[in-house]
Amino acid sequence: MKIPVEEALRYMGAAQADEATRHLAEETAGMLEERLRPRFLWRAFPIARGEEGIRLEGAGMTLPGTLAEKMLAECDTAALMIATLGAGFDRMMQEWEKRDMARAAVMDVCGSAWTEAVCDEAEEEIRGRFPGKYLTDRFSPGYGDLPLQLQAGFLQALDAGRKLGITANESYLLLPCKSVTAIIGLADRPQGAKIRGCGYCRLRGECAYRKRGIFCGD
Amino acid sequence: MEIKLPMLLDGAMGTMLQKSGMKPGTVPETLNITDPEMVAAVHRAYYRAGSRVVYANTFGANRLKMKNTGYTVQEIIAAGVRLAKECAKETGGLVGLDVGPIGVMLEPLGTLPFGEAVDIYREIMRAGADAGADMIAIETMSDLAETRAALIAAKEATDLPVFVTMSFDATGRTFTGCTPASMARTMEGLGADAVGINCSLGPKEMIPMIREIRANTTLPVIAKPNAGLPDPVTGAYGVDAESFAEAMKELAAAGAEIVGGCCGTNPDYIAALARTELPKAERPAIGGAVCTWAVCLSTDRVRVIGERINPTGKKRLQQALLEDDTDYIVELAINQADAGADLLDINVGYPGVDEVSMLPKVVQAVQSAVDLPLQLDTTNPEALEAALRVYHGKAAVNSVNGKEESLNTVLPLVKKYGAAVVGLTLDENGIPDTAEKRVAIARRILERATAVGIPKEDLWIDCLTLTVSAQQEQAMETLKAVHTVRNELGLKTVLGVSNISFGLPNRMLVTRAFLAAALEAGLTLPIVNPNQKEIMDVIAARRVLSGEDEGCRGYVDRFAEEAPASAAPAANAEMTLGDAIRKGLRKEAERLTAEALKTRSEMELVEQELIPALEETGEKYEQGKVFLPQLLSAAQAAQSAFGEIRGSLLQKGEQGTDRGAVIMATVQGDIHDIGKNIVITVLENYGYRVYDLGKDVAPEVIVKEAREKGVKLVGLSALMTTTLPAMAETVKQLKMLEEPPLVMVGGAVVTADYAQAIGAEYYAKDVRDAVKIAARVFSDP
Repeated sequence: MKIPVEEALRYMGAAQADEATRHLAEETAGMLEERLRPRFLWRAFPIARGEEGIRLEGAGMTLPGTLAEKMLAECDTAALMIATLGAGFDRMMQEWEKRDMARAAVMDVCGSAWTEAVCDEAEEEIRGRFPGKYLTDRFSPGYGDLPLQLQAGFLQALDAGRKLGITANESYLLLPCKSVTAIIGLADRPQGAKIRGCGYCRLRGECAYRKRGIFCGD
Repeated sequence: MEIKLPMLLDGAMGTMLQKSGMKPGTVPETLNITDPEMVAAVHRAYYRAGSRVVYANTFGANRLKMKNTGYTVQEIIAAGVRLAKECAKETGGLVGLDVGPIGVMLEPLGTLPFGEAVDIYREIMRAGADAGADMIAIETMSDLAETRAALIAAKEATDLPVFVTMSFDATGRTFTGCTPASMARTMEGLGADAVGINCSLGPKEMIPMIREIRANTTLPVIAKPNAGLPDPVTGAYGVDAESFAEAMKELAAAGAEIVGGCCGTNPDYIAALARTELPKAERPAIGGAVCTWAVCLSTDRVRVIGERINPTGKKRLQQALLEDDTDYIVELAINQADAGADLLDINVGYPGVDEVSMLPKVVQAVQSAVDLPLQLDTTNPEALEAALRVYHGKAAVNSVNGKEESLNTVLPLVKKYGAAVVGLTLDENGIPDTAEKRVAIARRILERATAVGIPKEDLWIDCLTLTVSAQQEQAMETLKAVHTVRNELGLKTVLGVSNISFGLPNRMLVTRAFLAAALEAGLTLPIVNPNQKEIMDVIAARRVLSGEDEGCRGYVDRFAEEAPASAAPAANAEMTLGDAIRKGLRKEAERLTAEALKTRSEMELVEQELIPALEETGEKYEQGKVFLPQLLSAAQAAQSAFGEIRGSLLQKGEQGTDRGAVIMATVQGDIHDIGKNIVITVLENYGYRVYDLGKDVAPEVIVKEAREKGVKLVGLSALMTTTLPAMAETVKQLKMLEEPPLVMVGGAVVTADYAQAIGAEYYAKDVRDAVKIAARVFSDP
């Protein structure tokens, strides 16, 4: 799978990048694509509703709060997914931070953009397995009032330590560093965009794009 | 316990417990106490199906995972092992203590120190042995470092046999990039009793990896595959019992002799396997090798050992060692790797340097950036053991010699950690002056190494190069000795070659001639400076003549790269130092600095060239005319220029420019540090002295360093909302110091308002901001 290089440059605030930067980014993306195999994993679980929130019985997880409730309001099933570039990416970062910080900085954003692309691919696979169902936007622990603490249960439910080598530390940060968990609801009716957009973004107060009056998705 | 081959192990535990009704979210090991019958039923079914060994339900029983269960590691393990032993009585089967990954990542990828991992595992191994386990099964491992920690703990805490299996995916690597060959070499070296693969893949996908392991070990090989892959909707696995057993025949033909199943298998699979006659594989001959987690380097051909990390006669390296500057040493390692070295010698012995702490530190730093196997070069046994312990892979040791004391101290360490070792042909009487006597010492070292169980392939003999201008007849004696050791003793040979030409004009010519002659005599591991092209050319030519370089491809490529004689447009005579920095040309900046230092002072260059060029790039970055990579390239080019300036000052015995000291750290709990590292790169190139405390740093550590170093400015970064409280706590503690430093904070989720709220003086929105803040802080007298 290719790394969306333009997207990566945008993450770095360099959407208007000059030729040299673009070349560096493309070359770096090539190095990553050659060395790494991103992976993802998902499982679908039926939804039950309880007093404490949305209950995914098969996963041993409860999703508390209003965000999950709103997102999954019309859903009978939720897919839990996890995507990662693997520890190989962390290794390469470590090496390049010593060799050439300029490339390391570019590698970091290429990794982020790639991880998102892997999530897109996982989403496509889920869509393919549920014909006739409509998918909600992806949302993750740490969004809105959905606690980051869910990461531990998430890893356990997908056996992601064993299957993908992903761990969480005491602050619920995932390692390898380019690893993402997400929840996608499955409904019988089309689901409006509820999550994408600045209103849900943690960075809305500080975002360099917003200050310039543009949108990072442009 | 006797390992009779072929041996049948058990199948999955986790997926079996799920089927028996274990609730999602349950910690499976707690069932040993809360529902022992559920676990016992699984064990009994496996014994009845034909398992010789069943793994107890102790996979995750470590102190981190058991923390919130209300049970101790000892309780869970004792219950688990006893339960399995009870079930074993019926068939007379055996019980394995099952040991999986800790669940958090070790340094340097994560933050768990290696020594702590060994402690965690030691507790588990001890508990298993106390409970009466017959053997230990370390399984489903992904990180070679963690696997080493587990095996070292098992060997140090018990006398039980140990099986080690790691999980590989379809790319033939573990999740952290470890190869089957590296795993096999490292684990056999550390004393495992069998090695192999479990989980991740179905039996067919495992075949090439089982072959690779078999080609790299003399131990029995284990295969415990999954029943294919699970379906994400139903959770069902794809391969049924009969097809599984059928496929296992192929795995056995590839070399697996100890077999069982992992996720998705059940007693039916084991029963099917028990009915199947497994073919026997031939045992291939195993050549010598050393390795890192990712590279397994066969020593059955000429391999170059880079000699540059040795402080003797190298001022800049001496200073780096005294200042704890591992970055500089890593740079030396990277340069040698790029120049074609196959292994790197690491020597940090210098007055004022504590080798016992420095050697392991340098080994870890180099291993985090370079894949090459290392040769640990020290005369201090304590430093040697400390370094062998943290070296992840199979190392080489430089060196043992014919003296009794050396043989008695070094060889046991080499054996314990499974390294290769260089044997110097000298003893209590010094260096013998004839080839025969040197060979006699080599023979003695070989006998002693064999006696402690070091395989012949792992002993490399150094017949010692003496200076030809001082002892002319010795050059031929050395070559004769190399020839005999190689051809009569059949051992690999090492030789430092450059010493030969000391004191002569046109040294390179003599060195090259000697190197060529030594290679012809049978030298396999020349120790050289790989940055000297003329030397590496001789090696390249030798590889052509010996046939190692098939089709002369390596040789042709080497010289094809050189063909366009003059370099890129960069090497422009008109270019100024400022231009080179602005364009981020490191080599050019270095060259122009060296040139300029002939006529201008160090300070003048810093003030008039370096800083203005950096400033200009910084301003353009702010205006959005250049981007982060260019800003960093410029900073790095300036770093090369500073390196030259620093060297020049050192030659004169002066200290470098110091614009002030800053402490930088990523706060406790946070592990994303690219942002902090970017800021450090740039600050250093403005001439600030930066103490990088790393990531996940406790407030107490930052406070202690701030107090001891007496810095004026501390920079803190945090990426996640969950780690912001750690930032607040750190600032709070810093402000309680008698002379509190100023604090700047930054990171994805930090805002100016937040900075103010927690009492930090400065908020840096990006790297440019951080530089400006530092300038403001340090311009005040």
